[in-house]
Amino acid sequence: MRIGIDIGGTFTDFVVHNPETGSITTFKAPSTPSDPAKAMLEGLERVDGTAHRQLIHGSTVATNALLERKGTKTALITTKGFRDVLQIGRQNRPSLYDFFEDPSEPLIPKELRLEVNERVNADGEIQQALDIKELDEVAQLLDAEDVNSIAVSLLFSFLYPGHEQAIADFLREKGFFVSASNEILPQFREYERTSTTAVNAYVSPVMDKYIGKLQKELPHDDLSIMQSNGGSISPLEARKNAVRCIVSGPAGGVVGAQSVGLQAGFDRLITFDMGGTSTDVGLVDKQFQLTNEAEVGGLPIHIPIIDIHTVGSGGGSIARVDAGGALQVGPESAGADPGPACYGKGRLPTVTDANLVLGRLLPGNFLGGEMKLDKQRAIDAINSTAQALGLDPYQTALGVIEIANAHMARALRVISVERGYDPENFTLVSFGGAGGLHASALARNLGIPQVLVPPQAATLSALGMLMADVIKDYTKTVMLPGNTSIREIEALLQPLVETGQNNLSDQGIENANDMIIERYLDMRYEGQSFELRIPFGDDFIKDFHNAHKDSYGYANHEAEIEIVNLYVRAIGKVKQPELPRSTEKSPDSNSAILQEQDIIFADGTKRVPIYDAQLLKAGNQLTGPALVVRPDTTILLEDQDQASIDPFGNLIIKVPQ
Amino acid sequence: MNSSNEINPIRLEVFKHLFTAIPEEMGAVLRKSSYSPNIKERLDFSCALFDAEASMISQAAHIPVHLGAMPLSVQYSLKEIDLAPGDMVTLNDPYRGGTHLPDITLVAPIFVKDELFGFAANRAHHADVGGMTAGSMPIAQELFQEGLIIPPIKLIEAGEINQGNWNLILANVRTPVERAGDLRAQIAANQRGVQRMQELANQYGIEDLSNYATALLDYTERMTRNLLAEIPNGEYSFADALDDDGISDEPIPIKVSIKIEDHAATVDFNGSAPQQKGSVNAVYAITLSAVYYVFRCLLSADVPNNSGSLRPIQVIAPESSVVNASHPAPVAGGNVETSQRITDVLLGALSQAMPDRIPAASQGTMNNTLIGGIDPRNKRSFTYYETICGGMGARPGKDGASGIHTHMTNTLNTPVEALEFAYPLQVMRYEIREGTGGAGQFKGGNGVYRDIKVLIEAQATQLSERRKTKPYGLEGGEPGSQGVNILIRDSKETELPSKGTFDLKAGDILSVRTPGGGGYGKK
Repeated sequence: MRIGIDIGGTFTDFVVHNPETGSITTFKAPSTPSDPAKAMLEGLERVDGTAHRQLIHGSTVATNALLERKGTKTALITTKGFRDVLQIGRQNRPSLYDFFEDPSEPLIPKELRLEVNERVNADGEIQQALDIKELDEVAQLLDAEDVNSIAVSLLFSFLYPGHEQAIADFLREKGFFVSASNEILPQFREYERTSTTAVNAYVSPVMDKYIGKLQKELPHDDLSIMQSNGGSISPLEARKNAVRCIVSGPAGGVVGAQSVGLQAGFDRLITFDMGGTSTDVGLVDKQFQLTNEAEVGGLPIHIPIIDIHTVGSGGGSIARVDAGGALQVGPESAGADPGPACYGKGRLPTVTDANLVLGRLLPGNFLGGEMKLDKQRAIDAINSTAQALGLDPYQTALGVIEIANAHMARALRVISVERGYDPENFTLVSFGGAGGLHASALARNLGIPQVLVPPQAATLSALGMLMADVIKDYTKTVMLPGNTSIREIEALLQPLVETGQNNLSDQGIENANDMIIERYLDMRYEGQSFELRIPFGDDFIKDFHNAHKDSYGYANHEAEIEIVNLYVRAIGKVKQPELPRSTEKSPDSNSAILQEQDIIFADGTKRVPIYDAQLLKAGNQLTGPALVVRPDTTILLEDQDQASIDPFGNLIIKVPQ
Repeated sequence: MNSSNEINPIRLEVFKHLFTAIPEEMGAVLRKSSYSPNIKERLDFSCALFDAEASMISQAAHIPVHLGAMPLSVQYSLKEIDLAPGDMVTLNDPYRGGTHLPDITLVAPIFVKDELFGFAANRAHHADVGGMTAGSMPIAQELFQEGLIIPPIKLIEAGEINQGNWNLILANVRTPVERAGDLRAQIAANQRGVQRMQELANQYGIEDLSNYATALLDYTERMTRNLLAEIPNGEYSFADALDDDGISDEPIPIKVSIKIEDHAATVDFNGSAPQQKGSVNAVYAITLSAVYYVFRCLLSADVPNNSGSLRPIQVIAPESSVVNASHPAPVAGGNVETSQRITDVLLGALSQAMPDRIPAASQGTMNNTLIGGIDPRNKRSFTYYETICGGMGARPGKDGASGIHTHMTNTLNTPVEALEFAYPLQVMRYEIREGTGGAGQFKGGNGVYRDIKVLIEAQATQLSERRKTKPYGLEGGEPGSQGVNILIRDSKETELPSKGTFDLKAGDILSVRTPGGGGYGKK
């Protein structure tokens, strides 16, 4: 039994795969934010406890500790003269034209940023040796301040880790929880490395306690923890390296979209997850894309993380008229509480209210009928905005949708066009509660030819966790000239490769066939400040020139090349459950029609069929305009959309271009 | 057609997104494909779109000092060059659409079906454009000494690089490979902007496109007029000074008087010093940028950056003055130093009208630091250029931030480890200069120490300010402390002037200590 479990803000999602029967079942339980483990443990009682259970778990425990600044009291030890690096950062201000916006406060206050006398130079040579006796005083101070988590980040520790390691050993012996930067991110650029290490020190003790509790409560189950890089790791590692789990939920969503897409025969995907307050978008080009430049809560986290772009636009985004007479939508959100006006608490008009006013949501069918929507309240809210604009309420509601779409289209362009991908070659995978009403319009807007809405749209992140491989990343800054011999590079890569292999076998990946070791070099032309990641092979120099030309439009064969970092990715393949497949092939979808209803579009009101998704069968053909209603989401087919249900139950919408 | 008069408030917002997304995408192209750390890592560039009359439709939030200056680049290109589809103009002449020589601007006309619709333009700071010293920010007395002067010329003609102009530029700079890489990136960014605008024209029609471009200028104008109406009518004056021009020792006064009349403002710099021998002279575009910036900060975040915000504001800058220099006065420091003081006097004047919205003076300098020499590891010449953060002025209700860039710049620092890998230099200290922020009910932010040891013989140029005068406090707050430049040789400290070029011996340490921000309110 393999079970993916995703704890979100409102619900905890479970996806259960039974390898014997091949069945996949999903269910949800209300989350318990004050004690997140509670919902998980209660939910698991619904799954056969006598079977061998493998749990792959993603939670927001580390994320929330960071964003809400509820991590553990943490100190920093760094090279003399550089304790303020964590505060100065890259010296820029977050908002160009706002006198009042400040950069994020450092996680570690000045009085807990401590310095030691030591110095290593850019060649990795010791210029000033560390005197470990200095640490006695430091340890006393940490005791007096009641600090137990410590980040250690010294200049050039990735070239010579000896000083950092001596400090870490000394403090670990005394019982402190230590995060050493050469263990977390042995890469140059001291601010980003120190920040990543500090985040780890800040959130790991919280994660440690949480996972410890889970392991105690679930002694007979195998537990793995979802990471932000799209793979899972052992609980032991997650407890020490919680920084790797910061955005595991959205990462699960992209992995889920990838496996649904691949099984359905689509390998180039743009993922679109629209929720109540924000929308996450990502891109899969056979493989999900990683970034080393993530920022969470204004703090850089430079370990590999699935590249996800987030905008503050969702179903709860509030519409208002500004002083210049333009209609604005978001980023302010009514959230889940009070929620959109039609939820019956708030009065402010939102995107969800606009959809309801236009007939695109069924008041009695929201969340499977668990929540009744108040349409009159939505009309009143939209009306107040309409009056301020001098438009009628329907034009206004259409405008709210159009503007929300403009926000989201920009996000989709950032992740595709700006990264050099043509949306024309991609399929838009829509999930999350609010996405189905906007996906087709967005696909038209961007020239994406088709949309895929999986049946697991509301639990896709948990499904992704179920599908995730075990993935470990290893990196090291080396700063070598491009003419370094292949043999020398191989020798330098070898320790990383061996660590990866050992780590995978520690996590139960025994069979060499299930182990994939990928080796890369981060390279650039001398003088550049950005690196390209190139697979390591005999032609890596040529490959780099070509990659540079592809990415940036030119190659410079005369320039010197630098090999900046080594990067090894160790993947332990997990046998991916096959998604259940139907053999039915009936094109006639009429029996799934619940009723007909008027829906308002920009070119007028149309009477359209409403389909019950649970009655739709593989092979069914649908023509837009139409509405497809699921317990957890509603999908709008625009005029001339041609849709069908594939054998996996995916709704595939062909959008005319 | 009657649709031309009707501006729909929904469409207006949609076009706002469309027009803003294009310069942002241009910026992404430029950043990714450029060659030098200045552009890639420090983000010293800006991208914008213009209509056929050279009014700026939208600028991505890049560098404030480029704000008011870019429209003039487009105006000069339009005036001096006969443009055809596929052409691209380049320029850096401060007296013909530029600001200072290292900032090279590329302007591309956007033609839709043979009709000129507007322009895509971008400006990037190049690490070297020739001249007396590496880095092209020398202590000069004439523009000609500061580097290669490029009047508006065609860099691309009908889609092909004009090889003569290309070669001439590259023959006059110290690092031609890097310059070529950056220029190619600038070309690619403009091409992307042109392509996207043509796509929009196809999608929405050229008439709607230009109507909504005009409507967005009107919209920003309206928002600016609303803001001006919030400011009580009256005349508000303020004066401050630059330390000196690096040639003589005399302070250089800068004065402004802002007259608010209902929905309009007149900003008059009469009373400011005449232009100087040294390079602190600002061309008119810089002064305009500072005015633009200050009013932009008082508008809400989502108002598009376009020329509409300057329509209600008249800017008067006396000719041949330090705020409106004439050919051939040197200008390298006008862009990076004088621009900050112009901002200071504007804010000082406005604080009298709206004390609850204006911060005390920030560090008021960019602490430009350049070090050049020969790297013994590869026997090649190198140039390191950096602007260094300092204290932010305290704000009504809030302390100022420490160790941060303020006002006219927002470039990133070079990481210590990146710097030491790249140059024969070593950073000995990078920390907050405690106690340098002005006291007050709300404290000014602190400056920083950046101590750089040269491992070889080298030449350093310092172009800095607020070494004599102090960033002012407001409402009874104390001023911030001045900065100071120190040479540490054989453990002995010697104070260096605010501006100058110095020979350094191996082992010398250049210690740049930046100013704190002013305090706000009586303690």
